[in-house]
Amino acid sequence: MNRKNPHHMNQTVAELPVPLEFDRSWINQLESRLDKGGPWGDYRLFQLGIQAEETNLIPNFDEIQCLKHLQGLTPLPHQMDTARRVLFEMSGRAILADEVGLGKTIEAGLILKEYMVRGLVSKVLILVPASLVLQWVRELNSKFGIPAIAQKKAYSWQNEVVVASMDTAKRDPHKDMLLNTDYDMIIIDEAHKLKNKKTTNYQFMLKLRKKYCLLLTATPVQNDMSELFNLINLLKPGQLGRQGDFAANFVVDKRVPKNQEQLKNELSKVMIRNRRGEGPVQFTKRNVSNVNLQLSPEEQALYDGVTSFVKDQYQEAGGNLSSMLSLVTLQREVCSSRDAVFVTLVNLSKKLPLDSPLRDKIWELVAHIKAIKENTKAEKTMELIRNMNEKVIIFTEYRATQEYLLNYFRNNGLTAVPYRGGMNRGKKDWMMDLFRGRVQAMIATEAGGEGINLQFCHHMINFDLPWNPMRVEQRIGRVHRLGQQNDVNIFNLSTTGTIEEHILNLLHEKINMFEMVIGGLDVILERLEKKESIEKSLYKIMLESQNDEDIRRKMDSLGQSLNSIQREVADEGPAVSGLLDLRKGGS
Amino acid sequence: MTMSPHEVQAYVLTYLEALDCQIMERSPAHVTVKLSPEADKALTNRPYYWGFVERTGAPAETMSFTFIFDPDSYQQAIEAAEAKAAQALPSIVPDPAEKNGVTNGSPQGEPPKETILGRYFGITPSMPLLGPGRILREEVVYGSRRLQQIFGAAREGGAFVNLFEQAAKRQLRATAPAVYEPWLGVCFKVEFACDLKREELHFLGISLRSGEIIEKFGTKLNRRDLSPRLAENMHVQTAKVSLSDAGAALESHLTNRLLELDYSWAEKAQERLDLELDVLDTYYEAVLREDTPEVELTGNTASGMESVHSNRTPPVPLKKVLDIPNAKPNGADVELAAEAVVPIDTETDAEEEKAKQAVIDREAMKLQYETRRTEMIWQYEPKVKVTAISSGMFHLR
Repeated sequence: MNRKNPHHMNQTVAELPVPLEFDRSWINQLESRLDKGGPWGDYRLFQLGIQAEETNLIPNFDEIQCLKHLQGLTPLPHQMDTARRVLFEMSGRAILADEVGLGKTIEAGLILKEYMVRGLVSKVLILVPASLVLQWVRELNSKFGIPAIAQKKAYSWQNEVVVASMDTAKRDPHKDMLLNTDYDMIIIDEAHKLKNKKTTNYQFMLKLRKKYCLLLTATPVQNDMSELFNLINLLKPGQLGRQGDFAANFVVDKRVPKNQEQLKNELSKVMIRNRRGEGPVQFTKRNVSNVNLQLSPEEQALYDGVTSFVKDQYQEAGGNLSSMLSLVTLQREVCSSRDAVFVTLVNLSKKLPLDSPLRDKIWELVAHIKAIKENTKAEKTMELIRNMNEKVIIFTEYRATQEYLLNYFRNNGLTAVPYRGGMNRGKKDWMMDLFRGRVQAMIATEAGGEGINLQFCHHMINFDLPWNPMRVEQRIGRVHRLGQQNDVNIFNLSTTGTIEEHILNLLHEKINMFEMVIGGLDVILERLEKKESIEKSLYKIMLESQNDEDIRRKMDSLGQSLNSIQREVADEGPAVSGLLDLRKGGS
Repeated sequence: MTMSPHEVQAYVLTYLEALDCQIMERSPAHVTVKLSPEADKALTNRPYYWGFVERTGAPAETMSFTFIFDPDSYQQAIEAAEAKAAQALPSIVPDPAEKNGVTNGSPQGEPPKETILGRYFGITPSMPLLGPGRILREEVVYGSRRLQQIFGAAREGGAFVNLFEQAAKRQLRATAPAVYEPWLGVCFKVEFACDLKREELHFLGISLRSGEIIEKFGTKLNRRDLSPRLAENMHVQTAKVSLSDAGAALESHLTNRLLELDYSWAEKAQERLDLELDVLDTYYEAVLREDTPEVELTGNTASGMESVHSNRTPPVPLKKVLDIPNAKPNGADVELAAEAVVPIDTETDAEEEKAKQAVIDREAMKLQYETRRTEMIWQYEPKVKVTAISSGMFHLR
């Protein structure tokens, strides 16, 4: 003890096996107060201060502390499990690769909160797709009490916890600021966009300085093994060896791995993947009904008129598809609403020279439009909604249709709000709030397909269908996800004898997409679309077919291509996607 | 540890009373209080307002709050009160119970809209948009930000104290002056950090007269009646030990205590660090050793079986690449770029380009390596940090 030589200031005791640091600022503060006779604190506050520290104390290294700070949040067992593993086994650097809808955001929030509660993390950067920024901010604040802000201006970056879009972050002037900051933690959502190491995004990520890092993606491997390698290289370079070694050890061909057990072992050290249907996590069912409607005679007349118009133009243009694209949407718009057709026709005629013969044809079509008094689909929608008597989300491709439906619903006494890409973040949030509250229906265009959570709603009406099955799946994913308490009812409205019927047939019957596992679909589509996008193929079919029989035949063959790719993927199943089955015997 | 609503209530009430706030209403589930200027400054984050008050000498208007400790009980109490009121005076239309507090100056807005506003503004920290006239309702439970803020305010408010033990009544009548021994008491927080973390509190006291050190000083203090007032007949002993020496003594004592602890956690952390560094070093050393930096797998390396598929054809991903001057990979990329941009006259130009690019890439790689290494050490390296939560002079008999 140092009682004997009180003036001896240096440490005579042995050193600790770890660096020891004393903060001595209190001594000066106390001394100055003694000299000046104040200012002194209240004894009650002194005791309260110590009591506060005691309650907040982290007594041990490896128990999750943050739950007591989170009122009203009950994470699911797989989420707690994931958090524990990342915190205590993976030292905070991991890929969270749960399947869609299992709550990766919650897992990331838990991990972040735990680190913050322990005082290990204070400066955080969260990069997500632009459409999800507000949602992340809201969730972090309300569920986790984390003071996150959405990045808006240059000074936003100063905040301790910032949520921004990756695109904004990597641009000047933000880029340099970010590259010069030491972040305690970086979280990236939709990290599969980083699968290609030659992109600016990847290079940017590589250069950011960070202590802890989480990559969130539902599809860590979409096509080939190097994608996985690249992702892991971001987190822990060298974990899987150098690329050459990786290839030699683990890759037979782009998509076929070897030494799978060993690979799985290595993967499980940096990646966690929970699957639906595993464990107590149960998803509710999907009830899909295809509602076939007969167009009214006036609507049919318009459809026929448009079809022949478009086909003639195609012939005249010599079969050149690219010049036709705006016209081709006309046919789809007819199946949606006359408003949509009208808007396109008007825009078209504006671009034409005054003496063009097309104008006459357009006015013919407009005459057909005027003849239409009712919208068959809208009426059916009202009927469906009245029967369900609950909240419902209606998807449509066309803004004109959206406007029309809003009006129509209002005239029929149904509360509805719109949601579209053009709205700024604040307005989108506002619309969501209204829908959550007293409004019964929300009519959304494609922007509603991305990212937002609608678990409180379990009815969905596809007023018209996008031709890309992935988009349909995304729409459904808004409603059918973890947290959804009820079975989900999906109504697909289609019009008989039109192109829509064929599309729906393709999606539903041929590729059975409504039953399909997520992650399967986008792989299939990526491969199909190597030659040309599925939408283009469909357009071609539509334009080049002579008659209905022709269409049917061509659709059939398209369906078969999809099926064969599906089989291919299923066969590879045990290979690549099986790799991601990290629980079964791998870890 | 956590705090029950009861404990939270006791804590918050003590704090409010210590700061002379005016308690208007209280129940086991809530408290309605008009803050004192001191509390207002600490809790409401209105530095500009208070600056204005000081400069202009305007009368200060402090804010009022209803802090709710037990939301469920509070809700029930409100509903019960409403029910009673409704029975007593059936002609009065009952209030929408949800958002309006007990006394509320806000106009009767449409309930749904107000709910949305509440939710909407719930994201931003409570700004005093509503001014001192209204009473803000807040839930204060363990883990809420308001409570953490009060914790912080209490800690700051009580960080330095100077207290004297008050005599029991008996002794006051004694004529002989009582002798007081000066003690320095410090509450230390010890943080054991690596990629994980643990904490301990040590409240130590040292006599400035004898140099004796006592642990769990708080227990000794609790038994005594302490006050900032000097008692009568007090004779304060002069300190033999200077403050800084006392501080140093406490630090050595603490260090000795810490020495007795188990540091296997640090060893494990060091092992983890070493393992990770090993992986990292092997990787980067191999990469930097090669002449062409291995940023891309070219068809040249013998082991690049994967490359056969991805690099024979013009690499598909290239389409997406924007101009990256720095880390442009070698090999196929440069050739393609060369073809696309300017027809190269001589072969040597292309070679020079390649060489230059290689150097740039190496530098980038090295930088990456160093950064990653530093990051890793920052993350894993075990360390112990000691800070003082609060300290004070205690004059005890």
